[in-house]
Amino acid sequence: MSAILSVQDVSVSFGGVDALADVSIDVEPGEIVGIIGPNGAGKTTLLNVICGMAQPNKGAIWLNGTLITGRKPSAVAGMGLGRTFQSSQLFPGMTVLENMMTGLHLASHAGLFQSAFRTSAMRREEARLRAKAEAALDFVGFRHFADRPGNALSFGQQRIVEIARALINEPKVVLLDEPAVGLSINRVAELDELLRRIRKEKGITLVMIEHVIRLVMAVSDRIVVLNSGRKIADGNPVSVRDDPLVIEAYLGAQAHA
Amino acid sequence: MRRLLSPRNLIFALFVTLAVVPFLANKYYVFIANLVLLYMILAVGLNLLIGYAGQLAFANAAMFGIGAYGAGLLQAHFGVPYWLALPSGALIAMVSGTVMALPALRLSGIYLALVTLAFAQFTLWVMSHWDTVTFGAGGFSPPRIDFGPLPLTQPNGMYLLSWLAAAGLIWFAWNAMGSRIGRAFVAMRDGEIAAQALGIDLLRYKALAFALSGFYAGTAGALYGGVLGFVGPEGFDLLQMVLHKAAVVMGGLGSIMGSIIGAVILVVLLEVIREFKATMEIAFGGLLLAFVLFQPRGIVDLLRRKLGWDERLHYKAGPDQTAPSEPTPAATRKPAE
Repeated sequence: MSAILSVQDVSVSFGGVDALADVSIDVEPGEIVGIIGPNGAGKTTLLNVICGMAQPNKGAIWLNGTLITGRKPSAVAGMGLGRTFQSSQLFPGMTVLENMMTGLHLASHAGLFQSAFRTSAMRREEARLRAKAEAALDFVGFRHFADRPGNALSFGQQRIVEIARALINEPKVVLLDEPAVGLSINRVAELDELLRRIRKEKGITLVMIEHVIRLVMAVSDRIVVLNSGRKIADGNPVSVRDDPLVIEAYLGAQAHA
Repeated sequence: MRRLLSPRNLIFALFVTLAVVPFLANKYYVFIANLVLLYMILAVGLNLLIGYAGQLAFANAAMFGIGAYGAGLLQAHFGVPYWLALPSGALIAMVSGTVMALPALRLSGIYLALVTLAFAQFTLWVMSHWDTVTFGAGGFSPPRIDFGPLPLTQPNGMYLLSWLAAAGLIWFAWNAMGSRIGRAFVAMRDGEIAAQALGIDLLRYKALAFALSGFYAGTAGALYGGVLGFVGPEGFDLLQMVLHKAAVVMGGLGSIMGSIIGAVILVVLLEVIREFKATMEIAFGGLLLAFVLFQPRGIVDLLRRKLGWDERLHYKAGPDQTAPSEPTPAATRKPAE
Protein backbone atom coordinates (compact mmCIF):
# COMPACT_ATOMS: atom_id res chain seq x y z
CA MET A 1 0.00 0.00 0.00
CA SER A 2 1.35 3.39 -0.90
CA ALA A 3 0.20 6.14 1.39
CA ILE A 4 -0.20 9.57 -0.20
CA LEU A 5 0.57 11.17 3.15
CA SER A 6 2.64 9.39 5.73
CA VAL A 7 3.42 10.76 9.17
CA GLN A 8 6.02 8.64 10.96
CA ASP A 9 6.83 8.84 14.67
CA VAL A 10 6.46 12.59 14.80
CA SER A 11 7.13 14.34 18.10
CA VAL A 12 6.86 18.06 18.77
CA SER A 13 7.53 19.77 22.04
CA PHE A 14 7.16 23.39 22.98
CA GLY A 15 9.32 24.36 25.95
CA GLY A 16 9.41 20.84 27.36
CA VAL A 17 5.70 20.17 26.89
CA ASP A 18 4.99 17.41 24.41
CA ALA A 19 2.43 18.67 21.94
CA LEU A 20 2.81 15.51 19.90
CA ALA A 21 4.51 12.28 20.94
CA ASP A 22 5.39 9.56 18.43
CA VAL A 23 2.36 10.06 16.23
CA SER A 24 2.17 7.98 13.06
CA ILE A 25 -0.62 8.19 10.50
CA ASP A 26 -0.83 6.84 6.97
CA VAL A 27 -3.41 8.32 4.64
CA GLU A 28 -4.37 6.43 1.48
CA PRO A 29 -5.15 8.24 -1.78
CA GLY A 30 -8.79 9.31 -1.94
CA GLU A 31 -9.43 8.81 1.74
CA ILE A 32 -11.23 11.24 4.00
CA VAL A 33 -9.57 11.04 7.40
CA GLY A 34 -11.06 12.78 10.41
CA ILE A 35 -8.89 13.84 13.34
CA ILE A 36 -10.66 14.32 16.63
CA GLY A 37 -9.65 14.73 20.23
CA PRO A 38 -10.25 16.95 23.24
CA ASN A 39 -8.88 20.50 23.36
CA GLY A 40 -5.11 20.56 23.61
CA ALA A 41 -4.76 17.11 22.09
CA GLY A 42 -2.33 18.35 19.46
CA LYS A 43 -4.62 18.31 16.42
CA THR A 44 -3.70 21.72 15.04
CA THR A 45 -0.04 21.13 15.87
CA LEU A 46 -0.23 17.99 13.75
CA LEU A 47 -1.57 19.96 10.77
CA ASN A 48 1.07 22.66 11.32
CA VAL A 49 3.84 20.09 11.32
CA ILE A 50 2.54 18.47 8.16
CA CYS A 51 2.34 21.75 6.24
CA GLY A 52 5.73 22.99 7.45
CA MET A 53 4.57 25.74 9.80
CA ALA A 54 6.05 23.93 12.79
CA GLN A 55 9.07 21.67 12.79
CA PRO A 56 9.03 18.26 14.45
CA ASN A 57 11.72 17.43 17.01
CA LYS A 58 11.66 13.90 15.75
CA GLY A 59 10.07 11.89 12.98
CA ALA A 60 9.45 12.29 9.27
CA ILE A 61 6.58 13.21 6.96
CA TRP A 62 6.21 12.01 3.40
CA LEU A 63 3.90 13.44 0.78
CA ASN A 64 3.39 11.20 -2.23
CA GLY A 65 6.71 9.49 -1.58
CA THR A 66 8.74 12.67 -1.06
CA LEU A 67 10.15 13.69 2.30
CA ILE A 68 8.68 17.07 3.24
CA THR A 69 9.94 17.54 6.81
CA GLY A 70 12.07 20.65 7.21
CA ARG A 71 10.75 22.39 4.11
CA LYS A 72 9.16 25.83 4.08
CA PRO A 73 5.35 25.98 4.05
CA SER A 74 5.38 27.57 0.61
CA ALA A 75 7.56 24.74 -0.70
CA VAL A 76 5.30 22.09 0.85
CA ALA A 77 2.31 23.83 -0.77
CA GLY A 78 4.14 23.60 -4.08
CA MET A 79 4.44 19.86 -3.67
CA GLY A 80 0.69 19.44 -3.56
CA LEU A 81 -0.52 20.17 -0.05
CA GLY A 82 -3.47 22.50 0.51
CA ARG A 83 -4.65 23.87 3.82
CA THR A 84 -7.52 25.81 5.36
CA PHE A 85 -7.57 27.44 8.77
CA GLN A 86 -9.82 27.60 11.80
CA SER A 87 -10.41 31.31 11.56
CA SER A 88 -11.34 32.47 8.11
CA GLN A 89 -8.34 33.45 6.06
CA LEU A 90 -9.85 35.06 2.98
CA PHE A 91 -7.85 38.14 2.07
CA PRO A 92 -10.16 41.10 2.76
CA GLY A 93 -8.28 43.45 0.43
CA MET A 94 -9.13 41.38 -2.62
CA THR A 95 -12.29 40.36 -4.37
CA VAL A 96 -13.43 36.77 -4.10
CA LEU A 97 -12.18 36.17 -7.66
CA GLU A 98 -8.76 37.65 -6.84
CA ASN A 99 -8.63 35.45 -3.76
CA MET A 100 -9.17 32.46 -5.99
CA MET A 101 -6.55 33.68 -8.46
CA THR A 102 -4.09 34.03 -5.58
CA GLY A 103 -4.73 30.35 -4.93
CA LEU A 104 -3.21 29.77 -8.37
CA HIS A 105 -0.02 31.59 -7.45
CA LEU A 106 2.05 28.45 -7.94
CA ALA A 107 0.34 27.65 -11.23
CA SER A 108 1.42 31.00 -12.71
CA HIS A 109 4.86 32.24 -13.57
CA ALA A 110 4.81 35.84 -14.80
CA GLY A 111 7.69 37.68 -13.15
CA LEU A 112 7.93 41.33 -12.12
CA PHE A 113 8.97 42.67 -15.50
CA GLN A 114 6.58 40.52 -17.49
CA SER A 115 3.81 41.80 -15.21
CA ALA A 116 4.86 45.44 -15.34
CA PHE A 117 5.16 45.41 -19.13
CA ARG A 118 2.01 43.31 -19.51
CA THR A 119 3.56 41.01 -22.07
CA SER A 120 1.23 38.92 -24.19
CA ALA A 121 2.33 35.80 -22.29
CA MET A 122 1.42 37.50 -19.02
CA ARG A 123 -2.00 38.57 -20.33
CA ARG A 124 -2.72 35.07 -21.61
CA GLU A 125 -1.75 33.65 -18.24
CA GLU A 126 -4.02 36.11 -16.38
CA ALA A 127 -6.92 35.13 -18.65
CA ARG A 128 -6.26 31.47 -17.95
CA LEU A 129 -6.13 32.09 -14.17
CA ARG A 130 -9.36 34.06 -14.34
CA ALA A 131 -11.17 31.30 -16.23
CA LYS A 132 -9.91 28.69 -13.80
CA ALA A 133 -10.90 30.82 -10.80
CA GLU A 134 -14.39 31.29 -12.22
CA ALA A 135 -14.73 27.56 -12.81
CA ALA A 136 -13.64 26.88 -9.23
CA LEU A 137 -16.26 29.32 -7.94
CA ASP A 138 -18.83 27.53 -10.09
CA PHE A 139 -17.89 24.29 -8.37
CA VAL A 140 -19.14 25.68 -5.06
CA GLY A 141 -21.93 27.72 -6.66
CA PHE A 142 -20.38 31.09 -5.74
CA ARG A 143 -19.70 32.57 -9.17
CA HIS A 144 -22.06 35.49 -8.44
CA PHE A 145 -19.81 36.54 -5.53
CA ALA A 146 -16.76 36.91 -7.79
CA ASP A 147 -16.50 40.69 -7.58
CA ARG A 148 -17.37 41.11 -3.90
CA PRO A 149 -14.61 42.01 -1.45
CA GLY A 150 -13.40 38.98 0.50
CA ASN A 151 -14.76 40.27 3.80
CA ALA A 152 -18.18 41.24 2.46
CA LEU A 153 -19.15 37.57 2.62
CA SER A 154 -20.65 35.94 5.69
CA PHE A 155 -18.46 33.75 7.83
CA GLY A 156 -19.90 30.55 6.39
CA GLN A 157 -19.55 31.79 2.83
CA GLN A 158 -15.94 32.78 3.42
CA ARG A 159 -15.31 29.29 4.74
CA ILE A 160 -16.63 27.70 1.55
CA VAL A 161 -14.59 30.07 -0.65
CA GLU A 162 -11.53 29.29 1.42
CA ILE A 163 -12.02 25.59 0.83
CA ALA A 164 -12.50 26.23 -2.90
CA ARG A 165 -9.30 28.32 -2.88
CA ALA A 166 -7.36 25.50 -1.22
CA LEU A 167 -8.58 23.11 -3.95
CA ILE A 168 -8.04 25.32 -6.96
CA ASN A 169 -4.45 24.34 -7.64
CA GLU A 170 -5.38 20.64 -7.58
CA PRO A 171 -3.38 19.60 -4.53
CA LYS A 172 -2.97 15.93 -3.71
CA VAL A 173 -3.98 16.35 -0.09
CA VAL A 174 -5.93 19.13 1.63
CA LEU A 175 -5.80 19.67 5.39
CA LEU A 176 -8.96 21.23 6.79
CA ASP A 177 -8.86 22.73 10.29
CA GLU A 178 -12.40 22.63 11.71
CA PRO A 179 -14.26 23.48 8.52
CA ALA A 180 -17.63 23.37 10.31
CA VAL A 181 -16.76 25.68 13.19
CA GLY A 182 -19.34 28.43 13.55
CA LEU A 183 -21.61 27.09 10.81
CA SER A 184 -25.36 26.66 11.20
CA ILE A 185 -26.86 23.16 10.99
CA ASN A 186 -27.97 23.68 7.39
CA ARG A 187 -24.53 24.86 6.45
CA VAL A 188 -22.96 21.79 8.05
CA ALA A 189 -25.16 19.58 5.86
CA GLU A 190 -23.99 21.51 2.79
CA LEU A 191 -20.40 21.15 3.90
CA ASP A 192 -20.89 17.40 4.28
CA GLU A 193 -22.09 17.25 0.69
CA LEU A 194 -19.29 19.47 -0.57
CA LEU A 195 -16.59 17.33 1.06
CA ARG A 196 -18.00 14.20 -0.55
CA ARG A 197 -18.15 15.92 -3.94
CA ILE A 198 -14.53 17.04 -3.60
CA ARG A 199 -13.44 13.46 -3.13
CA LYS A 200 -15.73 12.04 -5.78
CA GLU A 201 -15.27 14.64 -8.54
CA LYS A 202 -11.73 15.80 -7.89
CA GLY A 203 -10.20 12.75 -6.23
CA ILE A 204 -8.51 14.92 -3.61
CA THR A 205 -7.55 13.30 -0.32
CA LEU A 206 -8.86 15.14 2.74
CA VAL A 207 -7.56 15.22 6.29
CA MET A 208 -9.75 17.22 8.62
CA ILE A 209 -9.90 18.22 12.22
CA GLU A 210 -13.49 18.53 13.29
CA HIS A 211 -15.40 18.98 16.50
CA VAL A 212 -18.81 18.53 14.94
CA ILE A 213 -18.87 14.81 15.64
CA ARG A 214 -21.94 14.14 13.51
CA LEU A 215 -20.17 15.56 10.44
CA VAL A 216 -16.89 13.82 11.03
CA MET A 217 -18.56 10.46 11.71
CA ALA A 218 -20.71 10.73 8.60
CA VAL A 219 -18.12 11.86 6.13
CA SER A 220 -14.87 10.21 7.24
CA ASP A 221 -13.62 6.83 6.04
CA ARG A 222 -11.35 6.66 9.00
CA ILE A 223 -10.95 8.53 12.25
CA VAL A 224 -7.79 9.18 14.21
CA VAL A 225 -8.16 10.17 17.84
CA LEU A 226 -5.50 12.22 19.60
CA ASN A 227 -5.30 12.80 23.31
CA SER A 228 -2.50 14.72 25.07
CA GLY A 229 -0.35 14.51 21.97
CA ARG A 230 -0.69 10.75 21.53
CA LYS A 231 -2.68 8.74 19.04
CA ILE A 232 -5.12 6.66 21.06
CA ALA A 233 -7.29 5.25 18.30
CA ASP A 234 -7.27 4.88 14.53
CA GLY A 235 -10.03 3.07 12.69
CA ASN A 236 -13.46 3.27 11.07
CA PRO A 237 -15.97 5.63 12.69
CA VAL A 238 -17.99 2.90 14.39
CA SER A 239 -15.04 1.16 16.01
CA VAL A 240 -13.61 4.47 17.18
CA ARG A 241 -16.93 5.55 18.65
CA ASP A 242 -17.12 2.40 20.74
CA ASP A 243 -13.47 2.41 21.78
CA PRO A 244 -13.26 2.60 25.61
CA LEU A 245 -10.05 4.64 25.43
CA VAL A 246 -11.80 7.26 23.30
CA ILE A 247 -14.80 7.41 25.61
CA GLU A 248 -12.45 7.84 28.53
CA ALA A 249 -10.57 10.65 26.81
CA TYR A 250 -13.76 12.55 26.09
CA LEU A 251 -15.81 11.82 29.16
CA GLY A 252 -13.37 10.86 31.90
CA ALA A 253 -12.46 7.48 33.42
CA GLN A 254 -15.67 6.84 35.32
CA ALA A 255 -17.88 7.05 32.26
CA HIS A 256 -17.43 3.44 31.24
CA ALA A 257 -16.81 2.06 34.69
CA MET B 1 -18.63 61.77 -16.66
CA ARG B 2 -17.68 58.94 -14.34
CA ARG B 3 -15.84 57.19 -17.12
CA LEU B 4 -14.06 60.39 -18.02
CA LEU B 5 -12.90 60.78 -14.43
CA SER B 6 -11.42 57.29 -14.20
CA PRO B 7 -8.11 57.01 -12.35
CA ARG B 8 -6.26 56.20 -15.54
CA ASN B 9 -7.53 59.29 -17.34
CA LEU B 10 -6.80 61.51 -14.36
CA ILE B 11 -3.21 60.28 -14.10
CA PHE B 12 -2.84 60.90 -17.82
CA ALA B 13 -4.28 64.42 -17.56
CA LEU B 14 -2.09 65.20 -14.56
CA PHE B 15 1.06 64.15 -16.41
CA VAL B 16 0.11 66.13 -19.51
CA THR B 17 -0.38 69.18 -17.28
CA LEU B 18 2.94 68.58 -15.55
CA ALA B 19 4.62 68.21 -18.93
CA VAL B 20 3.73 71.76 -19.99
CA VAL B 21 4.67 73.43 -16.68
CA PRO B 22 8.24 74.37 -17.74
CA PHE B 23 6.88 76.14 -20.83
CA LEU B 24 4.37 78.26 -18.93
CA ALA B 25 5.55 78.80 -15.39
CA ASN B 26 8.43 80.62 -13.73
CA LYS B 27 11.40 78.92 -12.08
CA TYR B 28 9.75 78.73 -8.69
CA TYR B 29 6.73 76.85 -9.98
CA VAL B 30 8.93 74.53 -12.03
CA PHE B 31 10.77 73.70 -8.80
CA ILE B 32 7.50 73.03 -6.94
CA ALA B 33 6.19 70.88 -9.78
CA ASN B 34 9.47 68.99 -9.72
CA LEU B 35 9.02 68.32 -6.00
CA VAL B 36 5.53 67.01 -6.78
CA LEU B 37 7.05 64.55 -9.24
CA LEU B 38 9.67 63.39 -6.73
CA TYR B 39 7.13 62.97 -3.92
CA MET B 40 4.95 60.92 -6.26
CA ILE B 41 7.86 58.53 -6.75
CA LEU B 42 8.54 58.47 -2.99
CA ALA B 43 4.91 57.94 -2.02
CA VAL B 44 4.24 55.25 -4.63
CA GLY B 45 7.44 53.42 -3.62
CA LEU B 46 6.59 53.58 0.07
CA ASN B 47 3.03 52.50 -0.62
CA LEU B 48 4.26 49.35 -2.38
CA LEU B 49 6.00 48.43 0.85
CA ILE B 50 3.54 49.47 3.56
CA GLY B 51 0.24 49.71 1.69
CA TYR B 52 0.47 46.64 -0.53
CA ALA B 53 3.02 44.34 1.13
CA GLY B 54 2.03 45.43 4.65
CA GLN B 55 5.56 45.97 5.99
CA LEU B 56 5.60 48.78 8.52
CA ALA B 57 9.04 50.19 7.68
CA PHE B 58 10.45 53.58 8.62
CA ALA B 59 13.52 53.71 6.43
CA ASN B 60 12.12 55.42 3.34
CA ALA B 61 13.68 58.81 4.12
CA ALA B 62 17.01 57.05 4.66
CA MET B 63 16.69 55.30 1.28
CA PHE B 64 15.87 58.68 -0.24
CA GLY B 65 19.08 59.99 1.32
CA ILE B 66 21.13 56.99 0.25
CA GLY B 67 20.03 57.59 -3.32
CA ALA B 68 20.96 61.26 -3.11
CA TYR B 69 24.31 60.62 -1.42
CA GLY B 70 25.06 57.61 -3.63
CA ALA B 71 24.62 59.55 -6.85
CA GLY B 72 26.12 62.81 -5.53
CA LEU B 73 29.24 61.22 -4.02
CA LEU B 74 29.90 59.19 -7.17
CA GLN B 75 29.84 62.47 -9.08
CA ALA B 76 31.84 64.44 -6.53
CA HIS B 77 34.55 61.89 -5.70
CA PHE B 78 34.94 59.93 -8.91
CA GLY B 79 33.63 62.27 -11.55
CA VAL B 80 31.01 59.74 -12.61
CA PRO B 81 28.69 61.37 -15.16
CA TYR B 82 25.14 61.98 -13.94
CA TRP B 83 23.53 59.62 -16.44
CA LEU B 84 25.45 56.83 -14.72
CA ALA B 85 25.34 58.23 -11.17
CA LEU B 86 21.53 58.47 -11.21
CA PRO B 87 20.80 54.74 -11.76
CA SER B 88 23.76 53.85 -9.51
CA GLY B 89 22.27 55.85 -6.64
CA ALA B 90 18.94 54.13 -7.19
CA LEU B 91 20.60 50.70 -7.22
CA ILE B 92 22.61 51.39 -4.06
CA ALA B 93 19.36 52.34 -2.30
CA MET B 94 17.71 49.22 -3.72
CA VAL B 95 20.44 47.00 -2.26
CA SER B 96 20.21 48.77 1.12
CA GLY B 97 16.46 48.35 1.00
CA THR B 98 16.79 44.66 0.30
CA VAL B 99 19.02 44.24 3.36
CA MET B 100 16.11 45.61 5.42
CA ALA B 101 14.04 42.63 4.28
CA LEU B 102 16.15 40.34 6.47
CA PRO B 103 14.88 41.64 9.82
CA ALA B 104 11.40 41.82 8.25
CA LEU B 105 11.40 38.06 7.98
CA ARG B 106 11.51 37.69 11.74
CA LEU B 107 9.85 40.91 12.84
CA SER B 108 6.60 42.60 12.06
CA GLY B 109 4.53 45.56 13.18
CA ILE B 110 6.07 47.79 15.82
CA TYR B 111 9.29 45.74 16.08
CA LEU B 112 9.99 46.06 12.37
CA ALA B 113 9.22 49.78 12.68
CA LEU B 114 11.84 50.09 15.45
CA VAL B 115 14.56 48.22 13.58
CA THR B 116 14.04 50.20 10.38
CA LEU B 117 13.94 53.42 12.38
CA ALA B 118 17.25 52.51 14.00
CA PHE B 119 18.70 51.83 10.56
CA ALA B 120 17.47 55.23 9.37
CA GLN B 121 19.02 57.02 12.34
CA PHE B 122 22.28 55.17 11.80
CA THR B 123 22.31 56.18 8.13
CA LEU B 124 21.71 59.79 9.13
CA TRP B 125 24.56 59.61 11.62
CA VAL B 126 26.93 58.27 8.96
CA MET B 127 25.90 61.06 6.60
CA SER B 128 26.60 63.72 9.23
CA HIS B 129 29.78 62.30 10.74
CA TRP B 130 31.83 60.43 8.18
CA ASP B 131 33.36 63.72 7.08
CA THR B 132 36.04 62.38 4.74
CA VAL B 133 33.51 60.62 2.55
CA THR B 134 30.21 62.44 3.03
CA PHE B 135 31.54 65.96 3.68
CA GLY B 136 29.84 65.86 7.09
CA ALA B 137 26.94 67.80 8.47
CA GLY B 138 27.40 70.73 6.12
CA GLY B 139 26.60 68.67 3.06
CA PHE B 140 28.09 69.20 -0.38
CA SER B 141 27.22 70.35 -3.88
CA PRO B 142 27.54 67.76 -6.62
CA PRO B 143 29.11 69.05 -9.86
CA ARG B 144 26.87 70.82 -12.34
CA ILE B 145 24.95 68.51 -14.61
CA ASP B 146 25.46 69.16 -18.30
CA PHE B 147 22.52 68.23 -20.51
CA GLY B 148 24.37 69.00 -23.77
CA PRO B 149 23.86 68.54 -26.62
CA LEU B 150 20.24 69.04 -25.57
CA PRO B 151 19.31 72.72 -25.19
CA LEU B 152 18.32 72.34 -21.54
CA THR B 153 19.21 74.27 -18.42
CA GLN B 154 19.88 72.17 -15.33
CA PRO B 155 16.45 72.89 -13.75
CA ASN B 156 14.57 72.07 -16.94
CA GLY B 157 16.71 69.04 -17.66
CA MET B 158 16.15 67.72 -14.15
CA TYR B 159 12.45 68.42 -14.53
CA LEU B 160 12.33 66.38 -17.71
CA LEU B 161 14.21 63.50 -16.08
CA SER B 162 11.94 63.60 -13.02
CA TRP B 163 8.85 63.63 -15.23
CA LEU B 164 10.07 60.60 -17.16
CA ALA B 165 11.06 58.74 -14.00
CA ALA B 166 7.76 59.47 -12.26
CA ALA B 167 5.68 58.48 -15.29
CA GLY B 168 7.68 55.30 -15.83
CA LEU B 169 7.74 54.23 -12.19
CA ILE B 170 4.05 54.92 -11.66
CA TRP B 171 3.16 52.96 -14.77
CA PHE B 172 5.44 50.15 -13.61
CA ALA B 173 3.87 50.03 -10.14
CA TRP B 174 0.33 50.25 -11.50
CA ASN B 175 0.82 47.23 -13.75
CA ALA B 176 2.88 45.21 -11.29
CA MET B 177 0.26 45.65 -8.56
CA GLY B 178 -2.48 44.58 -10.96
CA SER B 179 -0.79 41.22 -11.46
CA ARG B 180 0.09 38.10 -9.49
CA ILE B 181 2.92 40.10 -7.88
CA GLY B 182 0.40 42.56 -6.44
CA ARG B 183 -1.82 39.71 -5.31
CA ALA B 184 1.13 38.06 -3.56
CA PHE B 185 1.91 41.38 -1.79
CA VAL B 186 -1.67 41.87 -0.63
CA ALA B 187 -1.98 38.23 0.42
CA MET B 188 1.13 38.71 2.57
CA ARG B 189 -0.36 41.87 4.09
CA ASP B 190 -3.79 40.37 4.75
CA GLY B 191 -2.61 37.02 6.12
CA GLU B 192 0.96 35.78 6.12
CA ILE B 193 0.00 32.30 7.21
CA ALA B 194 -2.67 31.81 4.57
CA ALA B 195 -0.34 33.31 1.95
CA GLN B 196 2.32 30.74 2.78
CA ALA B 197 -0.21 27.94 2.59
CA LEU B 198 -0.96 29.05 -0.98
CA GLY B 199 2.72 28.73 -1.85
CA ILE B 200 3.71 32.39 -1.58
CA ASP B 201 7.35 32.53 -0.52
CA LEU B 202 7.51 35.25 2.15
CA LEU B 203 11.28 35.78 1.88
CA ARG B 204 11.05 36.33 -1.83
CA TYR B 205 8.13 38.75 -1.80
CA LYS B 206 9.26 40.71 1.24
CA ALA B 207 12.67 41.12 -0.36
CA LEU B 208 10.99 42.22 -3.58
CA ALA B 209 8.83 44.77 -1.76
CA PHE B 210 11.80 46.25 0.12
CA ALA B 211 13.94 46.26 -3.02
CA LEU B 212 11.27 48.01 -5.07
CA SER B 213 10.59 50.68 -2.49
CA GLY B 214 14.35 51.18 -2.03
CA PHE B 215 14.73 51.62 -5.77
CA TYR B 216 11.88 54.15 -5.93
CA ALA B 217 13.19 56.18 -2.98
CA GLY B 218 16.75 55.97 -4.32
CA THR B 219 15.68 57.22 -7.74
CA ALA B 220 13.87 60.13 -6.13
CA GLY B 221 16.96 60.86 -4.01
CA ALA B 222 19.38 60.80 -6.93
CA LEU B 223 17.06 63.19 -8.79
CA TYR B 224 16.63 65.40 -5.71
CA GLY B 225 20.38 66.00 -5.49
CA GLY B 226 20.36 67.18 -9.07
CA VAL B 227 17.26 69.33 -8.67
CA LEU B 228 18.58 71.04 -5.54
CA GLY B 229 22.22 71.11 -6.62
CA PHE B 230 23.00 70.27 -3.01
CA VAL B 231 23.01 67.18 -0.79
CA GLY B 232 22.99 67.42 2.99
CA PRO B 233 21.90 65.15 5.84
CA GLU B 234 19.19 67.33 7.36
CA GLY B 235 16.81 66.66 4.46
CA PHE B 236 16.61 62.94 5.23
CA ASP B 237 15.59 62.97 8.86
CA LEU B 238 12.51 61.77 10.68
CA LEU B 239 10.44 64.71 9.49
CA GLN B 240 11.09 63.61 5.92
CA MET B 241 9.83 60.14 6.85
CA VAL B 242 6.70 61.66 8.36
CA LEU B 243 6.13 63.54 5.11
CA HIS B 244 6.34 60.36 3.03
CA LYS B 245 3.97 58.59 5.38
CA ALA B 246 1.61 61.56 5.35
CA ALA B 247 1.45 61.47 1.55
CA VAL B 248 0.72 57.74 1.56
CA VAL B 249 -1.85 57.85 4.36
CA MET B 250 -3.62 61.00 3.15
CA GLY B 251 -3.86 59.59 -0.35
CA GLY B 252 -4.78 56.07 0.61
CA LEU B 253 -2.85 53.00 1.69
CA GLY B 254 -2.74 50.32 -0.97
CA SER B 255 -3.62 52.64 -3.84
CA ILE B 256 -1.25 53.98 -6.50
CA MET B 257 -3.75 56.68 -7.39
CA GLY B 258 -3.94 57.61 -3.72
CA SER B 259 -0.19 58.14 -3.51
CA ILE B 260 -0.27 60.41 -6.54
CA ILE B 261 -3.01 62.51 -4.98
CA GLY B 262 -1.26 62.42 -1.60
CA ALA B 263 2.00 63.67 -3.10
CA VAL B 264 0.29 66.61 -4.81
CA ILE B 265 -1.53 67.61 -1.64
CA LEU B 266 1.60 67.20 0.49
CA VAL B 267 3.80 69.45 -1.64
CA VAL B 268 1.11 72.12 -1.98
CA LEU B 269 0.51 72.06 1.79
CA LEU B 270 4.26 72.27 2.44
CA GLU B 271 4.47 75.41 0.33
CA VAL B 272 1.45 76.96 1.98
CA ILE B 273 2.81 76.52 5.50
CA ARG B 274 6.48 77.04 4.62
CA GLU B 275 6.45 80.40 6.39
CA PHE B 276 5.59 78.67 9.63
CA LYS B 277 8.38 76.14 9.48
CA ALA B 278 8.45 75.65 13.22
CA THR B 279 4.88 74.42 13.21
CA MET B 280 5.39 72.02 10.31
CA GLU B 281 6.05 68.94 12.41
CA ILE B 282 3.01 69.63 14.54
CA ALA B 283 0.88 70.32 11.49
CA PHE B 284 1.85 67.12 9.71
CA GLY B 285 1.69 65.02 12.85
CA GLY B 286 -1.80 66.34 13.45
CA LEU B 287 -2.83 65.79 9.86
CA LEU B 288 -1.59 62.22 9.95
CA LEU B 289 -3.46 61.62 13.18
CA ALA B 290 -6.66 63.12 11.79
CA PHE B 291 -6.53 60.88 8.75
CA VAL B 292 -5.79 57.76 10.76
CA LEU B 293 -8.74 58.52 13.02
CA PHE B 294 -11.33 59.85 10.60
CA GLN B 295 -10.40 58.75 7.09
CA PRO B 296 -8.03 55.81 7.57
CA ARG B 297 -8.42 54.69 3.99
CA GLY B 298 -7.43 58.02 2.57
CA ILE B 299 -8.83 60.50 0.10
CA VAL B 300 -8.90 57.92 -2.63
CA ASP B 301 -11.53 55.99 -0.69
CA LEU B 302 -13.85 59.02 -0.76
CA LEU B 303 -13.29 59.31 -4.51
CA ARG B 304 -13.90 55.61 -4.92
CA ARG B 305 -17.29 55.93 -3.35
CA LYS B 306 -18.26 59.26 -4.95
CA LEU B 307 -16.89 58.61 -8.41
CA GLY B 308 -17.18 54.83 -8.46
CA TRP B 309 -13.46 54.36 -8.84
CA ASP B 310 -12.38 50.81 -9.21
CA GLU B 311 -8.70 50.35 -8.65
CA ARG B 312 -7.50 46.79 -8.50
CA LEU B 313 -6.66 45.27 -5.14
CA HIS B 314 -8.13 48.20 -3.29
CA TYR B 315 -11.32 46.67 -2.08
CA LYS B 316 -10.78 46.49 1.63
CA ALA B 317 -14.34 46.71 2.81
CA GLY B 318 -14.79 49.07 5.71
CA PRO B 319 -17.21 48.68 8.58
CA ASP B 320 -19.85 50.35 6.40
CA GLN B 321 -20.01 47.26 4.22
CA THR B 322 -21.84 44.64 6.18
CA ALA B 323 -21.93 41.01 5.26
CA PRO B 324 -25.04 39.93 3.33
CA SER B 325 -27.36 38.19 5.73
CA GLU B 326 -28.58 34.65 5.37
CA PRO B 327 -30.28 33.07 3.55
CA THR B 328 -27.89 33.14 0.66
CA PRO B 329 -27.63 30.89 -2.35
CA ALA B 330 -26.72 27.36 -1.49
CA ALA B 331 -23.11 26.79 -0.65
CA THR B 332 -23.05 23.67 -2.67
CA ARG B 333 -24.68 22.57 -5.84
CA LYS B 334 -26.29 19.22 -6.30
CA PRO B 335 -24.10 16.96 -8.43
CA ALA B 336 -25.14 17.00 -12.04
CA GLU B 337 -26.66 13.54 -12.19
